[in-house]
Amino acid sequence: MAKSDDGIRILQGLLVFGNVVIGMCGIALTAECIFFVSDPHGLYPLLEATENDDVYAAAWIGIFVGFALFALSILGIVGVIKSNRTLLLVYIILMLITYAFEMASCITAATHRDFLTPNLFLKQMLERYQKSEPDNNNDKWMTEGVTKTWDKLMLQNQCCGVRGPSDWQEYMSAFRITHNDADFPWPHNCCVMDARGSPVNLDGCKLGVPGYYNSNGCYDAISGPMNTHAWGVAWFGFAILCWTFCVLLGTMFYWSRTEY
Amino acid sequence: MCGCWVVLAFCCLGQLCAGKRHLPAVILSVFVVPLFVSLLFVLWFVLGANSPQLATNNPTLTTVALEKPFCTFDSSLCPNKSCIIYLYAMKELGDAISSQVTDNTSKPLDSTFHQTSGGQLGPYKAALFSVPDCASPPKLTDVGDVNKVSDVLKQYLFRVGDDVNCLYDPNFLGVCNPPLAPDTTYRFKYVLLDSTEGIVKDQTLWSDPIKTRRVKLPLKIDTWPGRRSGDMIVITSILSVLVFLLLAGFLASVSSAVIYPFQLISEALPELSQLVYAYSRVVYALCPRKSMRPDGFLN
Repeated sequence: MAKSDDGIRILQGLLVFGNVVIGMCGIALTAECIFFVSDPHGLYPLLEATENDDVYAAAWIGIFVGFALFALSILGIVGVIKSNRTLLLVYIILMLITYAFEMASCITAATHRDFLTPNLFLKQMLERYQKSEPDNNNDKWMTEGVTKTWDKLMLQNQCCGVRGPSDWQEYMSAFRITHNDADFPWPHNCCVMDARGSPVNLDGCKLGVPGYYNSNGCYDAISGPMNTHAWGVAWFGFAILCWTFCVLLGTMFYWSRTEY
Repeated sequence: MCGCWVVLAFCCLGQLCAGKRHLPAVILSVFVVPLFVSLLFVLWFVLGANSPQLATNNPTLTTVALEKPFCTFDSSLCPNKSCIIYLYAMKELGDAISSQVTDNTSKPLDSTFHQTSGGQLGPYKAALFSVPDCASPPKLTDVGDVNKVSDVLKQYLFRVGDDVNCLYDPNFLGVCNPPLAPDTTYRFKYVLLDSTEGIVKDQTLWSDPIKTRRVKLPLKIDTWPGRRSGDMIVITSILSVLVFLLLAGFLASVSSAVIYPFQLISEALPELSQLVYAYSRVVYALCPRKSMRPDGFLN
């Protein structure tokens, strides 16, 4: 009897420890997802315009799942210490539901990250940047978002286009319709700017003289934060789920061995 | 300077021939040959306008930047520094006859972009500038200096197609240099002109064909993401397996919670029946025996 008593005590201790870790990870997940949803790099308008913003949906689910994990871990600790079968059954069922949601969030984040290719951003930039005649209010909203985001990106990161300034020369674009090629081979934000925000030498920029225009592309500045976002949600959620799996199995075993 | 040696050789030949009283041959060798040789020089130096290395965005959709003709023409042709240079541009055609830039009297053609339909019907005059200074060309390393770059670029190269407004401006009086057509091949020629006499002194050959860019439509860009990344496959497969195991474990624990009490009862059942039998025997032994009358009543 003493041996099984010790065994029960050890199992209880492990389950309490497991639940404490789940609670802390839940809070961390909530905090991380709130950070991503707040969009510190201002890239959300680009994704919204491509209608591929499901990495943000995954982060939103992560916020609520994290909070649910924290609350359920407290319930689990109480249930294990009191060895109350009802509490433990409620805990297991709610945890399974939360598990399913978190699994959805991880898979969504990982899958939709794959859609964010350079070509996607290139096509959207060419079709929407400084588009002069939007079709409807939604189009106008997206066009303004894309234009402002690209202008800010090009100025802050000293870059031009997705792969380089040649994007503006190789493809037809909404920008090309309103700006002629002789004066604007590429937007003036691609030029090296002085302290006042005007190009250092416009002729040098138009001709492509090295040092007067930004020859690198902006794709790294876009994909870096997006990757961090998607992998942060997907892999951290995956780690939490692996740990939760072990704790849940232990709790089910413990539940089946306690008596009413 | 192999040209000079050629001239000398021809002069010597002329002197030898003079001895045989072939005067026309002498005159020919003394005057025509240097002219021929200087033309060879021109051919050897540069065949026409060159694309400068400095401008990486060249040619664009509607513009072409060309190096100005430094040290291309012989300065002795312009004794009073009264020469200017014309730049002619035309679309590349199979017709060699219409590519003349001078008329019969060696006067240059005065055609404009509009008259020649953008170089379609023949060459048009695209620019007019002074002869570039051969003695002191602009230093290309000065391009790095912000203050000097404008001057360097202006002296070193000329951008055909730079002026978007002159075609539509009725007050424009200069040489109009409107944007070129995209995806079209052009050829250029520099002509040295004496401004006082108004006749052509020298000209380069037509340049190599230079083609302006063409654009692709953004509709044609393929945004298919390709095959699934490894991350996504790992996460999906492992999480699916874990969820399956969790559900299996949950069902197992729920079913064991239902079956376990019955198992307990069935295991305890044989002991229970033995217990009941023993108890009944004890009771039977303890209670006094009474005989039964035939009518079933006890005595």
